[in-house]
Amino acid sequence: MPEAEATPAEVRQGGTANRSRRRVVVTGIGAVSGFGWGVEPLWQGLRSAATAIRPFGRFDHRGHRTHLAAEVPPPAGGGLPGGERRPRSGEGGARGGERPARGGGPLGVADRQLSMADRFALAAAGEALAAAGLDGGRLRAAPEGQAGVFFGSSTGGMWETERFLADLLAGRRHPLHSLASQQVNGPGDAVARRFGVTGPVQTISSACASGALAIGAALEAVRDGEVEVALAGGADSLCQLTYAGFNSLRSVDEAPCRPFRAGRAGMSLGEGSAVLVLEPLAGALARGVVPLAELAGAGGSCDAFHMTAPEPDGTGAAAAILAALADAGWQPADVDFVNAHATGTPLNDDAEWRALELVFGSRAERLPVTASKAAVGHLLGSAGAIEAAATVLSLWRRELPPLPGAAAGPVDADCPAALVRGWPLALPEARAAVSTSLAFGGSNAALAFARWTGEAP
Amino acid sequence: LSREVVITALGTAGAWGGGRCCLERALAAGTPPAPAEVDRGGGFHRTHGARRALLTPLAALAPWLPAAEARRMSLPSRLAVAAARMAVADSGLAAEQLAGPGTAVVVATAFGPSSFSECLLRQVLLEGPEAASPYFFTESVTNAPAAQIAIACRARGANLTLCQREAGALLAAARGAAEVASGRAERALVGAVDEISPLLHALLDRFGTLARRLGASGRGEGCGDGCGNGDSGDGCGGGDSGVSCGEGCDGGEVGRPFDRRRAGVVAADGATVLLLETAEAAARRGRRPLARVRGWGSAFDPSAPPAGWGSGGEVLGRALRRALARCGAAPGAAAGDGGVVIDRIVSGAAGSRGGDRLEARALRAAWRGGRDGGDDGDGELPPVLAPKAVTGEYGGGFLAAAVLAAAGAPCGPTPGFREVDPELGVTPHDGRPLPPPRAVLASSVAAGGAASWLVLER
Repeated sequence: MPEAEATPAEVRQGGTANRSRRRVVVTGIGAVSGFGWGVEPLWQGLRSAATAIRPFGRFDHRGHRTHLAAEVPPPAGGGLPGGERRPRSGEGGARGGERPARGGGPLGVADRQLSMADRFALAAAGEALAAAGLDGGRLRAAPEGQAGVFFGSSTGGMWETERFLADLLAGRRHPLHSLASQQVNGPGDAVARRFGVTGPVQTISSACASGALAIGAALEAVRDGEVEVALAGGADSLCQLTYAGFNSLRSVDEAPCRPFRAGRAGMSLGEGSAVLVLEPLAGALARGVVPLAELAGAGGSCDAFHMTAPEPDGTGAAAAILAALADAGWQPADVDFVNAHATGTPLNDDAEWRALELVFGSRAERLPVTASKAAVGHLLGSAGAIEAAATVLSLWRRELPPLPGAAAGPVDADCPAALVRGWPLALPEARAAVSTSLAFGGSNAALAFARWTGEAP
Repeated sequence: LSREVVITALGTAGAWGGGRCCLERALAAGTPPAPAEVDRGGGFHRTHGARRALLTPLAALAPWLPAAEARRMSLPSRLAVAAARMAVADSGLAAEQLAGPGTAVVVATAFGPSSFSECLLRQVLLEGPEAASPYFFTESVTNAPAAQIAIACRARGANLTLCQREAGALLAAARGAAEVASGRAERALVGAVDEISPLLHALLDRFGTLARRLGASGRGEGCGDGCGNGDSGDGCGGGDSGVSCGEGCDGGEVGRPFDRRRAGVVAADGATVLLLETAEAAARRGRRPLARVRGWGSAFDPSAPPAGWGSGGEVLGRALRRALARCGAAPGAAAGDGGVVIDRIVSGAAGSRGGDRLEARALRAAWRGGRDGGDDGDGELPPVLAPKAVTGEYGGGFLAAAVLAAAGAPCGPTPGFREVDPELGVTPHDGRPLPPPRAVLASSVAAGGAASWLVLER
């Protein structure tokens, strides 16, 4: 195995970076998004400047103020994992349209007890494990307690809960088992159950920062030797609670969201899952696996300012980014691009831009910025996970996807981010990137990824 | 741990009232607070289902939460902020000393702000989506209590909310300790909070989670007092079978940890918040800690169904042994062995048939392994406290009780326990005076598969 190239921290420190901590790498990715089931549909969708934000059919949205979302399309061949038929457009809502298939999954867990978010999570985790060469029971064969699951979710099985409650309020019977996985920890638990994980399992539910915080928790667990393999990510499905809730705040754009653009008017909701397989570098190399990227650092902070509004000057968000850089041993100058939280709400983008200015100074206006939410919508508890996946893919493939909506208007003069527009931006020399997640309640998270340069892909 | 972490303050609110003294008194007496009748007006409850829960008297929060602040908060946020302010007051720190990036917040919740979510969904489903209230939505998010603590205390460090059912409280304490031990935070406010809304209560009952009393009809509709007619363990409401117990039970809704006749838990709302800081910082300001965080661990039993209990006692027992080994402890080790001596277990057993069984099996498996890791242990457990017999399930009382036990607070008998379950072989503490503990293991297994442990030293 060739010697790994120096990390940005090592370059800066003359190759004397502290190596007492285990370095942690990403060895597999799985994703389910509005572009489809899998990493490849996600990547091709992102780089084609398309958007998955469109009219959707998960529930009847005629009474809602807005009518777009990035809904996960049916998988090729029909039914959802577990045998369920996906509801047709207009079905769901009060009565729902699907009839769960009977039949137990592995370990006796009936698939009918899986929520939509669970199914997204299982698909993404399965793909990630396969990419990491840990499929086919290899994870189950790992030493007991050496694999963990660290997941983020905002609403878990809320869609199923809504259908249960609708029936309850209408005096109709609804099977109790549909609530079995309604909890926020449902997707993470489902992944652990399906793949026989016996180590730590944690679900973090800190709104839109959940996925990034979960990946940060996984980083610590691998770095500290608590586990040798971590499945880290998040899952959430569209539901009326969040759709109506964000609309009640007038935070949803009637058009596909337009991050950092003048005239932006809010977010677009999405759904899906992303999972990263994290391992210690040494372990991955010993297995003969080529890492996709190194997860070099994670940081968190809180605005402690307001339940829904970000701190306008961006200091809270900046603190999270700086914490991630410090954890990685990097300076701001080491960072080559940013996958921004960039919801498209006027206040959030404004505050995030202030944060980027605080961290990167005058360089902020030249630093390439991408915003995955313009393509796949806001995945809430899974947003940080799918944006982490997009960041890793950008480093691995050495190009930064453009934002969709070339005609969406000019960049906001008050937030002059260097958005990638039109075509993918080639970044052959990019070595380091930051992904940000800024949540309801002021919880902020940032992840620092480095391109793996030890061996050519 | 790279930095020694200690617990220097505790705030708690629950059916026992507001403040740690109230809980200490209840635990010392072995007397659960009086349960409240749950509002059954929604029509969701079964006719002969559970009726009671341990609910926090809101008057207990008033000294800590002005009405003008409370009106903007869900009940979990109110409970959490009040408990956090109690912890701050207990710490001897000025509010200004907690403000800033050095203070992290980690909160666990099993169900989040369920009543506000229900209110919002009722608006959406019954009145239409445009009727949705932004107030309900803002406070329906799971991390609202943690965010409100941060806002109230101006805590600008990392802010996390963990959801792992019954295992969440210890996971939160462990995560907070990790924040401080690693130097990412100077201190952490960590804890657990839950509310028990009428709908949630009804659903827990339908899942067979709750202890129930003998029905007025005399048919014994899941009596909750020994017939084993609750907590089917598969999470699918198997407790609604209408089988009479015929054992002369007293008809009370009582959690009976480890008892042969246990038949479910008593749900409780409440909040507990601890202040964690470095031992050095505590010593610098002359603060005597309640306990030292020696270590932690967690694991998962993949045999567990989504809302029920698995059969992985051996798996969890081995995980517990590994966790103990990481913090220099070994089950069965005695003074003079040179390691940490666990001489008290604070168990999360609450009266669930499946949950208590799994907890007992995990503990027994860990202790059976012997102090050197071989299969040579006698399996004899140190004294086992089961404080959920007093605090109920959920709401953070268990976490507070674990810290108080480590601090040497007296512990009374285990209410509701009368008869050893021979399958479990665990007799919870009978109230006899115990010597101060050297180290306490807090243990909690969760419906769905998770388990967590925390080792605290006096």
